[in-house]
Amino acid sequence: MSLYERLGGEPAFQAAVDGFYRLMLTDARVSHFFDSVDMDGQIAKQKAFLTYVTGGPAEYTGKDMRSAHEHLLSKGLADEHVDVVIEHLGATLVGLGAKPDDVAEVASLANSVRNDILGR
Amino acid sequence: MSQSLDPAQAATLVFGDQRIDLLEGESVLEGLERAGVDAPAGCRAGTCCKCMQQADNPPPESQRQLRPTLRAQGFFLACQAYPKEPLYMASTEPPAPISARVVSVESLSSDVRRLRLRPAQQFTYRPGQYLDVLHSSAAVRSYSIASLPSDGLLELHVRRIEGGLVSGYLHELEVGADVSIRGAFGQCFHVADDPDKPLLLVGAGTGLAPLLGIARDALDQGHRGAIRLVHGGLQPDRLYLRDELAQLAETWPQLSIHPCVLRDAGASERQGALDQVAVQVAGSTLGETRAFLCGDSDLVRILQRSLFLAGMSSAEILADPFDAALSP
Repeated sequence: MSLYERLGGEPAFQAAVDGFYRLMLTDARVSHFFDSVDMDGQIAKQKAFLTYVTGGPAEYTGKDMRSAHEHLLSKGLADEHVDVVIEHLGATLVGLGAKPDDVAEVASLANSVRNDILGR
Repeated sequence: MSQSLDPAQAATLVFGDQRIDLLEGESVLEGLERAGVDAPAGCRAGTCCKCMQQADNPPPESQRQLRPTLRAQGFFLACQAYPKEPLYMASTEPPAPISARVVSVESLSSDVRRLRLRPAQQFTYRPGQYLDVLHSSAAVRSYSIASLPSDGLLELHVRRIEGGLVSGYLHELEVGADVSIRGAFGQCFHVADDPDKPLLLVGAGTGLAPLLGIARDALDQGHRGAIRLVHGGLQPDRLYLRDELAQLAETWPQLSIHPCVLRDAGASERQGALDQVAVQVAGSTLGETRAFLCGDSDLVRILQRSLFLAGMSSAEILADPFDAALSP
């Protein structure tokens, strides 16, 4: 059983993605990256991302990650911002009932696309 | 649409007089791709919503993750749709322009004019949606519809924009003139899926027009929960239609009107930023409220973000942001 299923599947993630996005919007370290984005589109993408990193039914490729973040590189997107995302990702999963081992596993999966996000 | 289909090939996509037969176990998205249709796709797992399509009779399970307004219009996720019967896909053609006659004009404030139009042909819409006005210069501007279909006439509120081509034209029109319109468009309308859900309607200036349509539509459909309408303007004289709104609220106790200004508030207005006032007006019901937001895209973005950060569910925030160029 995937972590996605153990944490409650789609209904649980629908609610959790709102919480995840609130954490990002209220964190001054990263909130400026979201100033002019379409909130609905952003939430749909983040839900797909959360689903993917917990082993749920979503596909995400390095190419998607690259093209989605390309325009943010000129705004200074760097490792420290990816760290913030992984921090909030962990908090969101803990809120859903994930154990520390699960969080570590998800963080390592998220880290595997770090170079794609940062265009390296 | 009336053609009879071979039942052995019941899982078929029907586009006007064209069809795509689906293979056993194939999703609508896979069928479209196999037929060479350039269909948008993303996660292929019902999560990202990028593969959204529209049909007359989508399988309900392919609509589960969409907002109620999208479901009501037949949108569905192609990657999650495995139809068991012919699926009648919506036309991708934009609606054709039709003519509408000006039946009445009325000044609502120093710069807002109410027009009532009688369309020459059937014009289907949901209150709160918008239509395009096509000007002879080829300029196109969008205006929200304040009326209900049962009113018979289309009601528009047009603010005169300094130097604005289309708004100037609409302000000069006389009764009996014909205008070219097309529509309707938009995702900001009432869906009667929960008669007790609190509704919060927020808009500035002529953003009142769609909110009035949405409020009246909800009341018409028997909505029992609180309907809170927050109308914002720079100063008190920018708020219009106040008597009519007050009368409506007197008739319907579940409806309350909350005028809001940035300066010179009198006894009957709240003073402050519209998003903050909206959050206050929703109060402790905010978590279960559905919001309808109308205005230019900057304002809508601020309202959306503030309500979301205050705890409103993103799925319950409905809006049609208008770009400045589209809403004189």
